[in-house]
Amino acid sequence: MAEDLVLDTAIRDWVLIPLSVVMVLIGVLRYFVSKLMRSSPTPDAKIVKEGQVVIRARNLKAGANFIPPKSFRARRFYFSNEENGLLHVPKDQAQNPQAQMFSDPNMAMDMMKKNLSMIIPQTLTFAWVNFFFSGFVAAKIPFPLTQRFRSMLQNGIDLSTVDVSYVSSRSWYFLNLFGLRGLFSLILGDENAIDDTQRMMQMGGFGFDASKSLGAEKDGLDIIQHEWALPGFEHRAESVLRKLVQ
Amino acid sequence: MGSSEKRSKDVMSDIPTFSGENLQKNLKVIQNSRTFLSIIAGVLAGIIGFTGLTGFVFYFVVMLITSVGLMAKAGFSADLYFDSWNRVLFDGFLGGLMSFVLFWTFAYDLVHIF
Repeated sequence: MAEDLVLDTAIRDWVLIPLSVVMVLIGVLRYFVSKLMRSSPTPDAKIVKEGQVVIRARNLKAGANFIPPKSFRARRFYFSNEENGLLHVPKDQAQNPQAQMFSDPNMAMDMMKKNLSMIIPQTLTFAWVNFFFSGFVAAKIPFPLTQRFRSMLQNGIDLSTVDVSYVSSRSWYFLNLFGLRGLFSLILGDENAIDDTQRMMQMGGFGFDASKSLGAEKDGLDIIQHEWALPGFEHRAESVLRKLVQ
Repeated sequence: MGSSEKRSKDVMSDIPTFSGENLQKNLKVIQNSRTFLSIIAGVLAGIIGFTGLTGFVFYFVVMLITSVGLMAKAGFSADLYFDSWNRVLFDGFLGGLMSFVLFWTFAYDLVHIF
């Protein structure tokens, strides 16, 4: 019932394709720039030491079932002993990391840099799209939407009788923003697939809260029930050898 | 999972042990294949001219075929390679949806409207 609008080929050539190409290129550029700008902070000896202790405790947790019960308990005691166990941190030291984080200019700079490198290209591109590509129908989305989306998707178009499927270029921009994440993960290798939206979600809290992670590791270690996996290994070795011999 | 089938889980001992690195690698494989296929499905849907609900049904069909293909590759015993069945079947569904819609719109417009 909706009549099909005939759209100019020039729109396709000069709006859709350039916008997508520009967004892909900006994404690639941002990936490389963030790689270059990744400054390595000088590691603090105490933090590194605590990090290594946490890693050791985690290894103990992971391999707990492969060592005899007595040695596991000995190791666990070494870690979570009340007096001089490695993971036990006296309560008054617990509040330091937060204060330290905010007064440390380096970390603040890093956070700022990460935020900026993410927000600036988005803002610039959005402004560019709004300035150049507003006021006309850019694309037709192949599925129908309700009338509520009209104001969101058709912001440059002032006719209210046009079908909601015909959208302006701003919505093409947003569609690209979300849809190109998958493409980036294929092109850029598997690490930097995340991109804006997920990083925005992670922005909430981070921070190397050393004492909290130590406490968490201690609790984790205390909880473990030791089940020795080794007694059954003779049978396993036997079955493996049998398979090899056959 | 490739030709070197990486087992994540050792089921012969009484306690299941996971190799974290292999598990992650297998997950990456699933994600890559789903993303790739959702892009291709989008382009196909646009060229053929699906509109509305048909397009989404097509997307789900392609995702199901992906799941079946991945299961076949894993020898139908997903618990050797992953920590839960749900990962093989449903992971990456929604992430691929956005890429699918983008490329579907793109191809549809290129072919049918202009």
